[in-house]
Amino acid sequence: MPSLSLLAQGLALGVLTGGVYALLASGLTLYFGVMRVVMVAHPAFLFLAAYITYFLHAVTGMDPLLTAVITVPLFFLLGVGIQRVLVARIPQESLAMMSVLLTFSLALLIEGGLGYVATGSYRSITVDYATTSLHLFGVAFPYDRLIGFGLAAATFIAIFAVLRLTRLGKALRATIQHPDAARLVGIDTAKVTGIGFGIGLATAALGGAVLSIIDPFFPAAHWDYIGKLMAIIVVGGLGSVRGAAIAALILGTIEAVVQVSGGATEAGLMFYAFLFATLLLRPQGFFGGRLAERF
Amino acid sequence: MRDRGPLVTSLAAFTLLTTLSACSTPEDPTAGAEGGAAGTFDAGAAGLEGEPVRIGISMPLSGDFSEPGIGVRQGYETWAAMVNESGGLLDRPVELVFRDDASDPNKVVSDYESLITQAKVDLVFGPFSTRLVIPAAEVAESYDMLFVEPAGASDEVFEQGFEYLFYAAPAVASDHYDNLADYIEKLPADERPRTAAYASLDDPFAQDTAYGLKDRMEAAGVETVADEVYPPGTTGFTAIAARIADTDADLVVGGTQFEDSVGLVRGFQELGYQPRMAAFSTGPTIPEFEEAVGGATEGIISPVGWSPSADYGQNADFVARHTELHGAPPSEDAANGFTTGEVVAAAVEEVGCAEQGRKCQKALADHIRGAETETIVGPLRFDEQGRPQSAHLIQQWQADGPEIVLPDDDARTGDLVHPKAEW
Repeated sequence: MPSLSLLAQGLALGVLTGGVYALLASGLTLYFGVMRVVMVAHPAFLFLAAYITYFLHAVTGMDPLLTAVITVPLFFLLGVGIQRVLVARIPQESLAMMSVLLTFSLALLIEGGLGYVATGSYRSITVDYATTSLHLFGVAFPYDRLIGFGLAAATFIAIFAVLRLTRLGKALRATIQHPDAARLVGIDTAKVTGIGFGIGLATAALGGAVLSIIDPFFPAAHWDYIGKLMAIIVVGGLGSVRGAAIAALILGTIEAVVQVSGGATEAGLMFYAFLFATLLLRPQGFFGGRLAERF
Repeated sequence: MRDRGPLVTSLAAFTLLTTLSACSTPEDPTAGAEGGAAGTFDAGAAGLEGEPVRIGISMPLSGDFSEPGIGVRQGYETWAAMVNESGGLLDRPVELVFRDDASDPNKVVSDYESLITQAKVDLVFGPFSTRLVIPAAEVAESYDMLFVEPAGASDEVFEQGFEYLFYAAPAVASDHYDNLADYIEKLPADERPRTAAYASLDDPFAQDTAYGLKDRMEAAGVETVADEVYPPGTTGFTAIAARIADTDADLVVGGTQFEDSVGLVRGFQELGYQPRMAAFSTGPTIPEFEEAVGGATEGIISPVGWSPSADYGQNADFVARHTELHGAPPSEDAANGFTTGEVVAAAVEEVGCAEQGRKCQKALADHIRGAETETIVGPLRFDEQGRPQSAHLIQQWQADGPEIVLPDDDARTGDLVHPKAEW
């Protein structure tokens, strides 16, 4: 049995890492929520953002997190563009399957492009706050993960605020709940869907900046995240922003606690154990209600 | 309206598929670089008369192993150029005949078959990686061809009963830390680490390196307080680092590649864990390491198979000529290729033959088994199964960069600092 202090440390790391997972997965729920698109390329976009952050940081000396001022609008526009030019052309009846294929090819394109432009060697950004921690009650809270957690919280609050408080949010929610009815009451669902996709991709810009200061990365690094992030949104209930956040926190915590008490191999299995349990017991996810009641 | 059953199932299936493929082959992050076609390498044999000694080599010049493959090929080319410039082999010029096996074990077999039976080469050199070395060695064995190879350090290579195979590097994986183990065993009792923690990637090569040291340490009475194994594709190492930090072991050993060594060092820093000695395989020898750990390199120990600064045999000439020939300093892969050439050349000159047939090839193999060859990685001897009997050099990051600190011979450039500086 691990000591209490080790368990406490595992718990702290787990909650913080769960927050980072929530940030990384937040875009996936939006794509699925607004248009039933399974966006396999989301992790690839995370690493595209990490690379852009890296080069902005290397060339201009900007703080890696500050580069979000540039990458977030850029990724928003990119998201709107991808939705309008590519995703919108897929016929509704084959959307789920074809969107997997389309975004899979996008992931391969990004990985190949990054390898071509930036070579396959490892990149990393080291800022002086990345290897220090806040020590409270004998438990270390690494600053890089605290920042990731804070950004995740801010992102979720912003997404909720947009969905709940703005006209755009109302239109988005209407489009999610019933696209035909939304069109009947005069909502330009094509435009709204594009904006939803853009917001989803904008979260990848933030997630990429956080990833870039936490770990070294290389073009093929996104494969290690696809499984984890997909497991999170299925457990959370596809399309539920709140469900994904809760699932990310819980799975991140379980992963870290198993890592400190059992072993890393068992910890890696946790995501899939929960994925299977969800599919067997509650295919609609543990934290989402019926799709129409989300948000 | 929206039946999500099939969608969820197909999504889950897809998730598992991508995860499985990601686990098995995290694409070599350093792959890429120039392509290279098969062909012969004319190593500037000007002034040499007589029938050339033709050496057949199948190389992964494309595919998974292309990057190390190209490194080994360049090492072979530098070796051939230097041999020809100094009078050739048995006064005959050397000619290298390359085939590209595209990292494919089936292709490597047909390559060596055709090199031996159709191109009728006089000698063969080995390809790259355990996966290709074993099938290639089987072909060489069946035609009674000497098979000295520059890669394939894992135990299974030497458990096949090959008679003609020799691995031209200082040591197999489990012996990489032998010099460090010797050093620790000789430390006065009050300076010796009392406890040790091990973390290793679930990979035969990485694990062999860490567990080789673990076996030696346990025999020397150093208590193992943690033994962590993590699967390939693990992201985030802080929790694994926490488990090791919790033991506060005097010695921490990582059977690592790259991102795991960086993740562990960063995690230890965040957790405030200060071991007295820290050793990691591979990671700290990669140029990007220093930047990735934010300069917290001082005191970190790694085994290295070859060092450009080591004063062994013709090492200095090799580094200079290689840089001149290929426009970049040699990698460790290139050095392994060069070493292969040196081992074979020494045997050929001593035995006095370089031709197909059991008589000559067996004499070469017997000679290598009994002799000690001076090479750029130090003097090499082999056991009955072809395992090299030396140990890796031990490198330690110090204030001015990496220094070779063990063993205490010509290769040494600095003194091992123990206990290490804080990170």
